[in-house]
Formats: sequence, C-alpha cells, structure tokens
Amino acid sequence: MVSGCAPSAAPQLDDREPQFFTRAEWRFVNAWVDRLIPPDATGPGAIEAGVPGFIDLQLAGPYGAGAYWYMSGPFHPDAPATLGYQHPHTPRALYRQAIAGLDADVRRRHGKAFAALSPDARDAYLKLVEADGVGLEGVSASAFFDLAWRNTREGYFSDPIHGGNRGMAAWRMVGFPGARADFTDWMDKPGAPYPLGPVSIGGRKFG
Amino acid sequence: MSPRPKPVDAVIIGYGWTGAIMAKTLTDAGLSVVALERGPMRDTSPDFSYPQVADELRHGIRGEYWQPLARETVTIRHRLDQEAVPYRQYGSFVLGNGVGGAGTHWNGQQWRASPEDLRFRSHVLERYGAQAIGPDMTIQDYPVTFEELEPHFDHFEKVAGVSGRAGNLRGTLMPGGNPFEGPRSDAFPNPPVADIESSIRFARAARELGYNAFPMPAANASRAYTNPYGVRMGPCNLCGFCERFGCFLYSKASPQTTILPILKHRTNLEVRPNAQVTRILLDSDGKRAVGAAYVDEKGDLIEQRADLVILSAFQMHNVRLLLLSGIGEPYDPATGKGVVGKNYAYQMVSSVSAYFDKDVHLNPFIGAGAGGQQVIDDFNSDHFDHTGLGFIGGSLIFAGATGARPIEQMNLPPDAPRWGAGWKAAAAAHYGHSMSVATMGAVMSYRDAYLDLDPTYRDALGQPLLRMTFNWHENEYRLAAHANAKARSIVEAMKPKSIGVNLIKPGENYDVRRYQSTHTTGGAIMGADPATSVINRYSQSWDVPNLFVMGASAFPQNLGYNPTGLLAGLAYFSAAEIRDRYLKAPGPLVDA
Amino acid sequence: MTPIAKKAWLVGGAAAVLGGAVLTATALSDRAAGDRRETLSQPVTPALVARGAYVARLADCAACHSVPDRPDYSGGLAMALPIGRVMTSNITPDKTYGIGGWSFGDFDRAVRYGVNRRDQSLYPAMPYVAYARMSRADTEALYAYFSAGVAPAATPAPRNEILFPLSMRFPLTLWRWLFAKAPEAIAPPSAADPAVARGAYIVEGPGHCGDCHTPRGFALQVKARSAAEGPAFLAGASIDGWSAPSLRAGGQGGLGDWTSQDIADFLRHGGNARGAAFGAMAPAIEHGTARLTPGDAEAIGRFLKSLPKPPGRAFAYDAAEARRLKAGELSSPGAQAYLDNCAACHRSDGRGYSGVFPPLAGNPAVVDERAESIVRIALFGGQTPLTPSSPAQFSMPGFADRLDDREMAQLLTYVRTSWGNQARPVSRGEVARGRRASAGR
Repeated sequence: MVSGCAPSAAPQLDDREPQFFTRAEWRFVNAWVDRLIPPDATGPGAIEAGVPGFIDLQLAGPYGAGAYWYMSGPFHPDAPATLGYQHPHTPRALYRQAIAGLDADVRRRHGKAFAALSPDARDAYLKLVEADGVGLEGVSASAFFDLAWRNTREGYFSDPIHGGNRGMAAWRMVGFPGARADFTDWMDKPGAPYPLGPVSIGGRKFG
Repeated sequence: MSPRPKPVDAVIIGYGWTGAIMAKTLTDAGLSVVALERGPMRDTSPDFSYPQVADELRHGIRGEYWQPLARETVTIRHRLDQEAVPYRQYGSFVLGNGVGGAGTHWNGQQWRASPEDLRFRSHVLERYGAQAIGPDMTIQDYPVTFEELEPHFDHFEKVAGVSGRAGNLRGTLMPGGNPFEGPRSDAFPNPPVADIESSIRFARAARELGYNAFPMPAANASRAYTNPYGVRMGPCNLCGFCERFGCFLYSKASPQTTILPILKHRTNLEVRPNAQVTRILLDSDGKRAVGAAYVDEKGDLIEQRADLVILSAFQMHNVRLLLLSGIGEPYDPATGKGVVGKNYAYQMVSSVSAYFDKDVHLNPFIGAGAGGQQVIDDFNSDHFDHTGLGFIGGSLIFAGATGARPIEQMNLPPDAPRWGAGWKAAAAAHYGHSMSVATMGAVMSYRDAYLDLDPTYRDALGQPLLRMTFNWHENEYRLAAHANAKARSIVEAMKPKSIGVNLIKPGENYDVRRYQSTHTTGGAIMGADPATSVINRYSQSWDVPNLFVMGASAFPQNLGYNPTGLLAGLAYFSAAEIRDRYLKAPGPLVDA
Repeated sequence: MTPIAKKAWLVGGAAAVLGGAVLTATALSDRAAGDRRETLSQPVTPALVARGAYVARLADCAACHSVPDRPDYSGGLAMALPIGRVMTSNITPDKTYGIGGWSFGDFDRAVRYGVNRRDQSLYPAMPYVAYARMSRADTEALYAYFSAGVAPAATPAPRNEILFPLSMRFPLTLWRWLFAKAPEAIAPPSAADPAVARGAYIVEGPGHCGDCHTPRGFALQVKARSAAEGPAFLAGASIDGWSAPSLRAGGQGGLGDWTSQDIADFLRHGGNARGAAFGAMAPAIEHGTARLTPGDAEAIGRFLKSLPKPPGRAFAYDAAEARRLKAGELSSPGAQAYLDNCAACHRSDGRGYSGVFPPLAGNPAVVDERAESIVRIALFGGQTPLTPSSPAQFSMPGFADRLDDREMAQLLTYVRTSWGNQARPVSRGEVARGRRASAGR
C-alpha cells in the first residue's frame, strides 16, 4: 500500500492498523521513522522491520501512558539537560502534540504534509528538529526527536514479540542471535565465527 | 485503625542480599522473623524462565524488575543552590525491587575491598600527607579491618559460588591471579569462567604492557556447584542475559539461587512481599525501635512490632527511611554537623572502545555479567604511587561483554552518524567487531555531596522523595582521566582499526541520562565516632541500638570495586556479632 | 487434580462398572476383612511412635491425607471419580473428626484389609492391596504414630459428593475379593540377601510402588502385586497422563545400568547423575523417600536390581551427534529445535549437568516406550522435588507455546533417537493428546 498522492516520495506504510495513531499521525510516523532507518541493501528499513507498529503498540499500552516514568509535578523543562527528561508529557502526549505541531510547521514551510516530502527534504527537516531548530507551542520538538529515535531503535532491535523486528531481520543484519542464550559450545572457540542464526522468544527462527 | 499482626523477635526491611543473610542468621538462632519486601515475590521459576527472560526491551529497557519510578524516585541536583528535579526516567542507575532486590539483576562482579580501602583516610595521610586530602573531602576510615572481614568475604564467596583465580593465597602470590588483593584464607570455590574473545585480546595487550590481567571474580558459577548451605547452582553458559536480567540457569548468584531455598520452609520466617515500609517505629523516647509500619498491597497501613529491626533496603532507601523515621541527626552541609545523609558517593566510569575489521569475530553476545571478563587492578586503590598525580583512589580497568544487547549496547565509532543510512551501515559493520575497555573508579566523599528529604516532590504514598545533591569533583576528573589513559594504551596495544573514547571531562556535570553504575553509596555511614557516623562497626545504629543498617549506605566513601562483596562481608560480620553477642545481651555493641 | 486422584478415577470407575453386574455381593460373608477386636501387642512408647512416623514416610500417607492449608493428615484431598468426588479422610487422632476412637483392629482393617468401621470396602485409591504386605509390627507402629505422634485436628474432612445409588459400595467389595489378598495369606519376602528382602518388603508393601509402576489389567487391578507374581511387576505403566517407567533393570526403558546407589540417591535426593524426578514422583520423594534411611534406600536399589531383566539392548552413549551439534551442523528440524530450546540446560551432548539439569541421553524417562511423560514435561515443564538434602529446586519451563505439535514431535523424536537413545518416534497425535489431556490442569 502506498500513501498520499506522491508515490515517488512517500514511503510504504506499515501494513498494520494503528491502535493509537490517527491516520494522519500514522502517515507522519511512518514517514519519520523511514528516514531514521531507511531501507537499503545493508538491511531492513524501519518500516519493513515493523517499527511503526511497534511504536503504536507501545503508545497504546502502559508505556504510552507514562506508567514507567515519574510524572508528578512541578515540571521544570528548563532544568539542565543533564538532569534528564523534565517535560510534563507522557509518551502519548509527546507524540500527539509534537506530530501535530511538526506537521503544521512543515505545511507552513513546504505547503504539504511531512509524509509527502521527498526523502531528502524529510532528512533535512529531521536534522533541523534534532538540532532544536523548530520551536513548537507547548511541546519540545527535540524531546520528540530523541524519544522517537529511542523508540525506533527499540522497535528495530527488540524481540518480535513486541511487534517490531519483523523476521528478526535487524538481528540478522548485525549478527545478534536473539534469545538463543546458550553458548556453552562456543566457550572453547573464542574468536570463531558464530554460525547459528537468531531465535526469538516465540521460537521463530531463520537460518 | 491499623491491624496489628503478631509481634515477632525481628523484622527485616528489604529482602535482597543482606536481608537474606540476616534472615538466615536470625532464623538459625531460633528467632521469629518477618521480612518485609516492598516489591513482589520473585523466583527463578516462573519469573526468570527461559525464553521469556531473554527480552532486552522488557527487562533491559523498561526494567520490569526495577523499582517503578512512577511510584517513587529520587530528586537530583548538582549544587546546593539548585532546585532538585525528579529522576523521571531510568538512566544513570537502576533500583532493584522485589524479593532478591537488585541482587537478582546484578552482573555478579564480586570483589573484596583492598586492605587499604578500609583504612583509607589513615592510609592516605601516612603515605601522602594531609595535603593529599582536599579541604572539602570528608573521607573516613572504616571501623573494621580487612583481616576482620576476610572470613566473611570467604564465606560469601562460597555461598555465591564465585568463580575466579586467587592472587594472594595466605600471603603467597599465585600466578594468574590478582597480586594486589589482600591475603585470602582460601581460593575461590570455582575456577574462572572461560575467557571470551574480547577479554583474551585485552589480557594479552595488558600483559604486553606489564600489567597483571586476571579473570574477573564472578558470581557466575563456572560449573555445577553446591554451596555451604547445600544449595546447588548450575554452570554459566555465557548466555548474555545477566545484567538487568534474572538468571534462568541458576548460575548467577542471587538470594534466590543461594540462600532463599533453605529459608523457604522455615516456620519461624514469614516473607511479606508488596509491603512497603514507611517508617521505623520508635518508643516514646526515640531510643528504641519497636517495629516497622508498612503499607500492604491493599493500601492498608500495618504495624509490625519487633524487638530487633534490620534495615536492609537499598542504600538510598535505607537513608530515606532513617530520615522519615527521625532516627539520627540529619546531615547539614552548611555546618557539616549531623550524620544521616552524609557522604553520599558514587563511581565514575569511562571507556575506550576498539573497532576491528570484519574478520575479527568478537561474538560480543557471548558473555556474562562478570564471567569471561578480564581485569587489571594495577591502578585501583593505592596499588600504584599517586605522588604527583593530583588525586587519590583508583579504578578497575576491565574488558569483556555483558551480552551486547543491540538496543542499548550498540557500540559505534564516534564518527558514525547518529541515525539514518549511515547509522545502519555502522551498526552492521561494527556490532560483532567492536569491544570496550571500561574503567570504574572510586568517588570520594565531600561536604556538598549528600542525601536529604526533598521539600517539594512526593511519592505515591505522599511521603517526601529522597533528594540527592551530587556532582563530580576535581579528584574524579583526574582519576578517570588517568585510568582512561591506561585503558587507551591497552586498547592501542590491541591494534584495532579505530578507537573511540568516552570520558567525562573536567567541568562536565553528572549526567543522569546515561547509565553509569548502580554503585551508589553512603548516607548512613559506619564509623568509630557517633559524631561522624550513623552506625558502628557492627552496623548497629548509634542512636537506636536495636536497629542495624545493612548495605552500601555504610560506605564512608566509594571504592573502585563493585560494592556487593564488601556489603555482604559487612553483613556477615554484623550477623555473627548479633548472633554471638547481641542476642545474649541486647544493647550497644560498641560504647559510644 | 492430583495424580493420585486420577488414579482413583481409574480404579474406582472400573470397580463400579464391574460390581454393577453382581448384585448379591453384600450377602456373601466377608472372609478377608480382619478383626476389629485386635489390640496392640505392645505399649505405645516414644520409640514405637518414632518408628511409626518412619513407616508413615515409607507408606507416604501424607501424599493423600495432607493437603496444603489444612492441618497435617486431616484429609480433604478430592479424588474425582466418574460418579462424583471422594474425599480423603482425617486420620489424625481427633475423636470426633479423625480416628481417635479407633481400635487397633479398626485401623488395621482399614490399612491392610481395605474395610472401614462400617464394614464398607474402601475405594482402592487407598493402596490397601499393597499395604496388606505390611508387617503387623509396622502396622502397630503406624497405629501408635497416628494415635500419639500426630496432633489431633478437629477439622472435618469434606463430605464425599456421590449420590445414591452410585454411592453403594458393594461393587468395591467384589473388587476387593477378586484382587486383594488378606495379610494372613501373604508370606513375607525372602531372599538370600537380607537387604534384597528388606527392599522387596518396602517396594511391594508400604512403599506401594506398583500402584504407579505396574501395568493394570481389565478391571484396572495391578497385573502383579509382587516380584513373585511375574514380570509385569514394576514393568512400567501409564497413569494419569504420565508414564511411570519400568523399574526393572535392563533394556533402554528401564533403570538400565543404574546402580543400586544411583537408585538410592534418586530416592533420597530427588535425582542423580542420570536423571531427576518430576511429575507425580516429585511429591512421592518429597513426602516419602527423601526421608528413607540410607540403608533402606540402598535396600530398595538392591531389590530392584535383583528383578529379572527384560530383554533389550542396554544404552550405549554415542558421541557423533554431540560433535555435529557442537559444530552447528543441524541434521534435522528436531536438531534445530533441540538447539533452540533444550541445549542450554541439557547440553548438546545430551548429558546435562550432574545434579542440576538431568541428562537426556540414556534417561529412562526419555526413552520409555510410553512417551506420555516426556511429552507432558516438554509441553508444560516441571520441577525437581525439594528434599532436605537438595534444597535447590530446579524448574524446567514448558514449551507448549513455543513449539507446535509437529515441531514438538520432531524435537522429542530427535531426543529419543540421539546420543545412543533408541526409542520409537513420537507422533504429532501423541503431542496433541498430551496437550488436550493437560488442558485445564
């Protein structure tokens, strides 16, 4: 399935039906993570690996609600960065508000949605946000960048049981054997190439 | 009205390593004991079962075994004049939760202190003079010697099935071991776990430079082993899921795999999980503990009366409970008076990474928290001459891999793009072919590094959070730079294709976002003088003699070693004294 | 439902069916029901009580009469029969709810003759067929223990839940006449080696090992009650979704080359270098055999080793498969599944780790002709028994969610045919049956 009206620019979408994201947000997130880890010959892109679906599931669940974070105020978003995340937003709120703000910002700058930008234009915009070059009302765009990149890596490399890392392709790309957790037979062969492919918690295996 | 369960002889607050050690000793002595644990019941089965445990996201990132920060965290500031803000997400350190505590998801790096660490202030004064100790440093001697603790170190190593190679056996230096360790009465109970490729390369390079590489003492049993309590452990298979995980192979020492099995069916012990202690109860004149108040899983506030109270929660929670209970005088950084919260310390880590060609197969996913690693102790404690270096204390320098979890432990060269196609290419190129040499250094204690109660933020029960005031000082920047340079020379001798350095530079603030270590210490320190310490040499409160406080909160300053070996030794030392002397005549074991 | 309860289901059900055809049974005189006027031949001394406590361990009375959250020996274990539920009784010395008012004769009649104080036959879940072989002296000691060594518990055992007319007991009486021998008719075991004779006494008598390990006949009676009654004795049986392996030495599926010391270690510690107990054997060890004296455990080993061997080639370890696995050469989907799921503990050489994770190579439970146990443990996992000598309990996780029926069958077939194991393959159907049988357990 191809999204939007500019097939040459917009990425494929994760083929799952989002539980948390709206359609517009879903297109945005797919287009965003597609640039964080683009598809190429080295290995799967974030969309192929199922990262959007992973993020959607995470946000729909307790993680998205902020259940893993201390979320009592008062909040001091201007505290030194070294003292950690101090925004009042749960992951859900951060995604929702930042995506709305960023998509509106892109429309102001380019006259179209972020998902409709060319890959190069999207890369340029990600760099701008990463460098804190986009100011949004009531939400930190760079905090969103950091969280989305963290969640993208989580979805890329976590066990497929969480909805990402489809086909364990990201593990295969780097050579991580996943939930194998048994290397007794390799303890006397340090330095020898490891021949076995990964196995997941659910028991799926490839080569 | 609070329901009142039957009074018991002793109540234990926190059922991790030291709680288990004390439960064993006190029930052996015939006491009726209740152990209160704020987190859930946990055991190898079903909580650490394969394959569910081998899940980086669930355990390594979301931290299913950690204390839920949503309910309670700490606040942190760098300086006295700042407003502290909450530690909202896990980063710098992880707090344990549940039966076994952090002892279930630790790495198992199992160290004794060096003899001079235990009389550190005296040792520095003797060797380097008073000017070596900075004016704001508040370092102290431990009120107990290496020789006194040695039998207890030895016992704990046997309980935990530690794998390693002795370096100093009753005064004789042993080839291949740590020549700097204090004399040990016995060898490790198990031989070292097999070295992994990165440690082999590290050890070879270190030896080329004249350093003494030896296997990391590991609470990962290298073979099937039965400990002195008759509990059997399985052999480590370097599965890569130690750190942040529970061990499915019964191989990593934890209370569950070493002590709790023999306590499970004792009729004089009751373990109450999901029981969060809010206060140690005192009698009217505040000189005697009469039990502990806790909130159970239904939210009811319950008072458990007891004649003896063992506070064996995590370091920070010990300090917080003392403050919440009004036991001991809170430390005041302005005057330097008071003791509770004083001398909070940490560790400073650094690393040097080596990036090899694709034909060098490091298989970094093969590894354990400690087993299979190699280490040098040449630049730790006072094993080297500090004259002219401008700092005191030292670092362990070690290499190995704890599992190379791809989300969190993806080790890429500093020039690799942070995201995008370049990041992916770097991940594919370097994951299996990079390694790090890490340094883990002591942090001294200072007048302005301490713990107290936060004036603003509260936990889910409405109680004030603990506030941490902490930052690096000159000594640490220098110490880390020194160790990092040594690590770098070793990495260079390994002849990698490229090198990456990770080092906190002078002036950089403590960054709570990056994991560094969970070796937080101090705040309820032990000493010889009630004016400068919270507990005596037997871990007994100076103010409330029927209260004993276990754990790394006792350390007057931190060391360049992992704390578990030392705090377990102190717990066994205390337990023996309680058994042999205190129970016969309850009262102060040391005259103030 | 416990394994013992399932056993009762089988035996009780068969008895009911059989007895239904014989309407005149109660009219017949009961030749084999003992005499309630019998009294103890000795005073109740602490020594006798202590001996009785030991006999209670041998006879594993706690397995059925003690349940969690109720006082010890106060009964209340539900045994589900097709006709309803039978509850084990309170056998503490409580006068109202227990057996405090019972004479020795009453007690002896229940234990060795299978008859209660109302002259009703007991459901043969009470192993009186084996207990009949218990000596009078041990029975007296047992009586002394349950009179003076156990705390009275004024706890009523729950009532049986069987409606008339199915609650009529006469079919059980007929069954008893057909399949139980009165103690008077049984000669004590004899052997040149007194240890073998002692072992036979424990195994055939109080230990009632045959209740699980001996195959059953048309009316679900054990096919042999003692070694003297033929090679069916302890030849292995399927019971309650487990396969109780043959205890006769020899062949692949039996105790093979276990020594009598191996057997003794297994009984006292819950495992040995060759295997670990699981399933229904785990509680039998926890309640019973873990407390055997070393001499009695060794005697049981000596007796089992003395049983005539069935034909069959003994296990011989073959290292070829271990070499292949270690090199990452996977000969079959079963080998892949083994490496992915089992090798971490049981090792690629199938030998496990002594005293921690049991070997699969040459393990009688693995190569048993009846595969129920290995299917069940692979699907649902298991736990080693807790004994005073082995406080660490090792758990095996179940793999029902990770492997489908086909993969599980491939895996188990691989395990049963590797490293020298030579057992028949396991079919998908067997795995599917194991899954169904354990659903809702």
